[in-house]
Amino acid sequence: MRSLLLAVALLVMASVLPCAAAPLKANPRTLTFPPLRYEIPKSERVVLECGMPVYLLRDTELPIISLSAMIRTGSVYEAADKTGLASLTGGTMRSGGIEGIAPEALNDELEFMASAVESHIMEDMGTVSATTLSKNFSRTLQLFAGVLLQPAFDEKQVDIARKQLIEGIRRQNDDPKQIGGREIERAIYAGHPLGEVATMASARSITRQDMVTFHRRFYRTDNMILTVAGDFDRDSLLKELNATFKKTAGLPTLALPEIPQPRQEFSAEVLYGKKEVNQTVIRMGHLGVTKESPDIYALRVMNYILGGSFTSRLTTEVRTNQGLAYNVGSSFDIGRRFTGSFTAETETKAESTGKAIKLMVDIISGMTKTAVTDQELKAARDYIVNSFMFGFTNPSSIVTQQARLEYYGYAPDYLDTYRDRIAAVTKEDVLKAAQKHLHPEAFKLVVVGEQAKFDQPLKNFGPVRELDLKIEQPAGK
Amino acid sequence: MMKKTVITVLLLLLTTSLLHAASLEEKVVEHTMKNGMKLLLVERHTSPTVSAWIRFRVGSANERSDERGIAHLLEHLLFKGTTTLGTKDYAAEKPLLDQIEQTAQALIAEKAKKEAGNSAKREELEARLKTLEAEASKYVIKDEFFDLYAKNGGVGYNAFTSRDGTTYLISVPSNKLELWAAIEADRLQNAVLREFYTERSVVMEERRRSYDADPESKLWETFVASAFLAHPYGQPTIGWMSDIENLTRTKAENFFHSYYAPNNAIIAIVGDIDTKATIALVERYFGDLTPGKPVQPVTTVEPKQGGERRIELIAEAEPTVIIGYHKPPIATPDDYVLDMISMILGSGRTSRLYKKLVVEKQLATDVGVFDAPGSRYPALFLVNATPRAPHSIKEVEDAIYGELELLKKEPVSQRDLERILNKNEYEEARRMGTNGGLARNLTEYEATAGSWRYMTEYRKKIQGITPADIQRVARDYFTRENRLVGFITKKGGDLK
Repeated sequence: MRSLLLAVALLVMASVLPCAAAPLKANPRTLTFPPLRYEIPKSERVVLECGMPVYLLRDTELPIISLSAMIRTGSVYEAADKTGLASLTGGTMRSGGIEGIAPEALNDELEFMASAVESHIMEDMGTVSATTLSKNFSRTLQLFAGVLLQPAFDEKQVDIARKQLIEGIRRQNDDPKQIGGREIERAIYAGHPLGEVATMASARSITRQDMVTFHRRFYRTDNMILTVAGDFDRDSLLKELNATFKKTAGLPTLALPEIPQPRQEFSAEVLYGKKEVNQTVIRMGHLGVTKESPDIYALRVMNYILGGSFTSRLTTEVRTNQGLAYNVGSSFDIGRRFTGSFTAETETKAESTGKAIKLMVDIISGMTKTAVTDQELKAARDYIVNSFMFGFTNPSSIVTQQARLEYYGYAPDYLDTYRDRIAAVTKEDVLKAAQKHLHPEAFKLVVVGEQAKFDQPLKNFGPVRELDLKIEQPAGK
Repeated sequence: MMKKTVITVLLLLLTTSLLHAASLEEKVVEHTMKNGMKLLLVERHTSPTVSAWIRFRVGSANERSDERGIAHLLEHLLFKGTTTLGTKDYAAEKPLLDQIEQTAQALIAEKAKKEAGNSAKREELEARLKTLEAEASKYVIKDEFFDLYAKNGGVGYNAFTSRDGTTYLISVPSNKLELWAAIEADRLQNAVLREFYTERSVVMEERRRSYDADPESKLWETFVASAFLAHPYGQPTIGWMSDIENLTRTKAENFFHSYYAPNNAIIAIVGDIDTKATIALVERYFGDLTPGKPVQPVTTVEPKQGGERRIELIAEAEPTVIIGYHKPPIATPDDYVLDMISMILGSGRTSRLYKKLVVEKQLATDVGVFDAPGSRYPALFLVNATPRAPHSIKEVEDAIYGELELLKKEPVSQRDLERILNKNEYEEARRMGTNGGLARNLTEYEATAGSWRYMTEYRKKIQGITPADIQRVARDYFTRENRLVGFITKKGGDLK
């Protein structure tokens, strides 16, 4: 013990003595660091006897196991007059109980073990996920598999889910930011399933049978990928998984219909939503690219400089220099399966609405006119490369990330080469990508607020179409 | 103190290699510096990353009435740099900053005269302020702190202000922790609150976005203000709009120098660190900070309500309702019981309110139980719900009161209590799974509950709670006299 104390004392003394090589306090501008070579932790891919791929990552730091399934489905497959069906199906798979176990009993059993199972269907993916203390893994796995493959869609829970969707529609215009976010998506993806939103009519038409059919169509062991992370024993885990997931006999061959890409059409439109508020919500944007585009690395760098960071051009000018907004920024969402989008957003007091719109459009246009500076390029590349490791800080996010690459069909070396590709982006690449993929003259512009208080009329930005924000009241008790 | 640290470190090295999952008690290393700065460290080597949180024991509850909003505005301004960072030439910049301050104060004084003021003078001051700000901005290097962190891969650089405290946080790759120490120590010793009045406009936009234009948040702000007539917990952390308009750089600097002393600070560093080396690093950068006066506790006591309070907000939005009861602060005996009640009423699909209101009666689409607006002083036990049309606020309220009455009349089952203990066992494990989450809990509980050990002692506290305790606490707190109800009435709808 004494020698250790002495060692500590020496260490403290050493750091107190000024020394040319290691100054007492370094200048943050010139500080240098020991090198850190970072390798992405790898999960193991195993194929179960039924043919289902499973990604495994064992980590015993905590006595917890998380598992999830990614199912090839999505709201893009629902009929236009049944918009909302996929999302309701996803939720009711969990809330509606499973074969042989009523909803209340399922809730009670899971929560008594402090286990959680949740199910969702998004635009282009379904997920069922579970977390559990490792000691309760086996039983949680059985209930997880039940939700995934044998949901009971209890009639009362179906009814509750539908009523909740209807109540949500009644409230969809309460918060101006929610209106802005929804309407820009609708405008960008008009005519495509991604641009559909649930209505009173579509919500009311959804039946239990619709859900059962939708589930049966997609949720089968040959149409999903599993992930398991945490404190498990590999051999016994695989034994349990093989015993749980079997090839379903007598199923027709899996055939998912082709969903076309949104039409590449760029045309300007100004949409106005009237709301009596002292701050205007502004959203603008248009279609973007899919991950197959060779420009995705340049676009990632471009958006960081334009509106993807606190020192971006949009934030620096609109917020820091002019004090016009608290929140301002842009995002270039790379479409994993369907064409993504470019959007920019802010909220500003009613009296500076026109000023903020013009400023943002000018800044975005500026990206297409001249090359970014060396300093901007370096800052963007350095951030993306050096912060890369934060995408992999816990075992469950590592496995799901690797499974997602397979799900969406990324090149196997996508993550491994990502940093090098970002580091290779040049100023010319950024300019060319901006010129090719930014079209400020063809923005869909959504403005929610009180036009009478604006600094200039919206017609200055093009012909205005006013949004109908009235909500049809539900009939009934 | 040094000796204690060394022993803990040694034990830590031994236990982590022997045990499967060491408990939090074993993992945390405490170190108090000579100047009073408290350090809490946890080694986690899952990824080469570190989260560092600095919490000051000062929040909006410490503001005087002419300072409302200053704790939060100061938090924004502390991102603007120091005498050497964020500036090209501080010596040339400083005289301009002083002129800006004089001009801004003159403008505030002129505006305070309202109609009696001189409008020509006002316009002249406004123009002068603009010119000076443009002049000063030539010396500014925009957001250099952020830039330095970002290019080194730092993520989640942020801060937040609450009633009880103010916290500055960042996660960095583990080889770059010295950058954090260098920037943060400089910020505490040499902060320059430049670009003050532009940032004040940003905060006004933040206020419009977070409260004015969002009906539910506006109801919340009004509700909390109505709950506390005397105690400063009632004042919104962001400040009322007219308060923000009258804040000055001088007020912010006074607040900064009064409260941001090392003895009022708690630092948590969690992640891929070497404990000993990290203590040495923090000592090297923060050791020479001079201690200041400790933050004095708020002595105002909120008087008993003496009757129900009902708050209505008429808005362009569908109805929502929130019900509050005054409750004691964190880590008091009744607070643990109220935590249990909160779990029974509002946690998960087996909770009583969910089963009654959402599933059985279908009066609401959503119901939640939480406590706010702070922890350190007496606060509120809260239930909020989203009524489902055509059901009224009154129907929802009555159903909630029915469940609260049941807690008074019937003892809860052993299974209910056991479920909570099981959930707690899971939470004890889960909360050690992220650097940022653990750093948050360590700083929060050290500041509000008196020690981070609040977390490790929690299980024992709730294990001792009996069904009779729950009945007694429900009877004591869930009374009409102690109740406050806030609700939104849709504009043009029936006024009740």
